[in-house]
Amino acid sequence: MVNDAMVNDAMVTGGGGPVLKAERLCKRFGGVVASDQIDFNLERGEMRCVIGPNGAGKSTFFALLCGILPPDSGRVILKGRDVTHLPAFRRVRMGLGLTFQTNRAFHALTVAENLETARRASASASGAADDAHFRAAFGAFDLAASSHLPARELPHHQLQWLEICMALRRGPDVLLLDEPTAGMSPGETMYTADVLKTLSREGLALIVVEHDVAFVRKVAETVTVLHQGSVFAEGPVEVITQREDVRQIYLGRTREAAA
Amino acid sequence: MMRMLQLLNGPHDLGRGRGFWSGMVLLAAAFLAYPTIASSFSATNVAYYLLNIPMALGLSLLWGYGGVLSFGQVAFYGIAGYTYGIVAGNLQDFAWGTEAGVLAALLAAGLSAAAFGYFLFYGRVAAWIVPILTLVLALLLATFLGLTAGYQWRVGDIQLGGYNGMTGIPALQIGGLTFQDYAFFYLVVAIVAICYVALRIWVNAHRGQVLMAIREDVLRTELLGYDVRLEQLRVFVIASVLAGVSGLLYVQWGNYITPSAMGLQQAALPVIWVAVGGRDSLLAVAIATFLLNQLTYILSSGGNQSALVIVGALLVAVMMFAPEGIIAGLGRLHWLHWLRARRRAVPSGPASSGK
Ligand SMILES: Nc1ncnc2c1ncn2[C@@H]1O[C@H](COP(=O)(O)OP(=O)(O)OP(=O)(O)O)[C@@H](O)[C@H]1O
Ligand SMILES: [Mg+2]
Repeated sequence: MVNDAMVNDAMVTGGGGPVLKAERLCKRFGGVVASDQIDFNLERGEMRCVIGPNGAGKSTFFALLCGILPPDSGRVILKGRDVTHLPAFRRVRMGLGLTFQTNRAFHALTVAENLETARRASASASGAADDAHFRAAFGAFDLAASSHLPARELPHHQLQWLEICMALRRGPDVLLLDEPTAGMSPGETMYTADVLKTLSREGLALIVVEHDVAFVRKVAETVTVLHQGSVFAEGPVEVITQREDVRQIYLGRTREAAA
Repeated sequence: MMRMLQLLNGPHDLGRGRGFWSGMVLLAAAFLAYPTIASSFSATNVAYYLLNIPMALGLSLLWGYGGVLSFGQVAFYGIAGYTYGIVAGNLQDFAWGTEAGVLAALLAAGLSAAAFGYFLFYGRVAAWIVPILTLVLALLLATFLGLTAGYQWRVGDIQLGGYNGMTGIPALQIGGLTFQDYAFFYLVVAIVAICYVALRIWVNAHRGQVLMAIREDVLRTELLGYDVRLEQLRVFVIASVLAGVSGLLYVQWGNYITPSAMGLQQAALPVIWVAVGGRDSLLAVAIATFLLNQLTYILSSGGNQSALVIVGALLVAVMMFAPEGIIAGLGRLHWLHWLRARRRAVPSGPASSGK
């Protein structure tokens, strides 16, 4: 295991390969094609935004990456290792963290217990987890004052922050956030963007699913657009957000919603 | 040591603080003093009301704290009882025969639970099927043992005995001391106290929190890096060994066991005790188990056939009017009042000065 981890680290830092990679991922639910031949590369320290209208397959893509769902075909490669057939908890131990689209911190436990539960998941192969990212986020989100409150008593934005801190607790290399700012005020959204941006500058790789264009403009360099399960467009944020066809997808959705 | 005491006083059960623990010590003292005023017959009866508490506490841990309902804990109760009968019976002439029986019984309960639980949890059997499969296990065992009448069904010198069961099971002996009458009473009181204290520490320690995390959200817990299957298997084995402890005490009490100890009625009873007490409070479960066993015993020894009907009706009433359990419900009301009174008394501290 130790050798494995060293080899992987060498591949990531030295070889410069992507820290997380998807190859031709496919997933259907009956007649619905939720993921259609998705190819995807995430570099270490990169901050990627994934956008797309409702039902585009963003959450399904996350579920495939972290092992909640098995793909029908295709591969997932984490830190140079094929993890397609590893259960979710093993991928997490290898250095993956995730927050869900709906907040799923443990509402019955206190903030401190939530974080303690996250910290004490069995030791990872790479030994002592580096929790520098966690400490940065924990400080920035100012959760210490609420340590002894049951999570259910936190205001919504702090609950979102708590779940991010839980996912960071064991020092992952890759963090997947599914609409982390949903339900936050514009101010809270921008503050969250700042904190995440800082984490990525310090070496954390992130994929963030987000609808808020202001948020995307602020944090992302590269944006991936999913539409009907496949990668519709990918490129620098200024280019993507100006593209007419990308706007059409979103507008189409608003028109349908309005109708 | 301090850490243990802190955990013991932790928040995941009813009752905290000096007043509560003084009460508990008094209660323990009352039990210890009871034989001085009671006949050995009454003491043995009280021991009988107590001896199912380990099984009930195990089910509380598994179901109340861990969210996994087993309807077949009596299977492990029976496995332990029969195993003890076989081993201790065959080794009657040896000094350590009954101790070997205890060891074998607990091992048998633990290993069979590990094997069965492996299939349940690593096979990712859906949560709602677990109570059915565990019940089927108990009923299969009861049915099988019911078929073991006749001389050919024996292990060594001991006959399984079919529906009439196994009789003449020797009582536990350590040195010159045989655990009967008062000695048996003290043994049961000590084991119940140890089980309660140990489990209360356990639920307030890390592993207990993981258990509650799984109960609340299996996927979230797995996505923090926990192997949920392993955690569930572990608690299933603990609960089943505790059921085995009760089974062991039961055969000490009556010196016999029959397949009906694993039958449908007996399988339902632990679930009733735990639900009526309040499944996510060890203390409430212990109290309810004691009271309901006493109730059943008194009702049925009066020649009354309706004991199970009455206890079942109680379950229905509780599920309708106090779904979190009678005793836990009453206890929480009490502690809530107490907490409110304290909050009013203490002026807002630095933690509550923020918005
Ligand atoms: N478990 C499931 N069973 C059946 N269909 C599913 C399941 N999960 C997702 N789908 C379908 O797959 C498609 C993609 O869903 P997904 O949740 O991945 O979209 P999304 O991009 O995350 O949408 P949103 O912005 O609303 O969160 C949708 O058509 C959805 O109805
Ligand atoms: Mg989604």
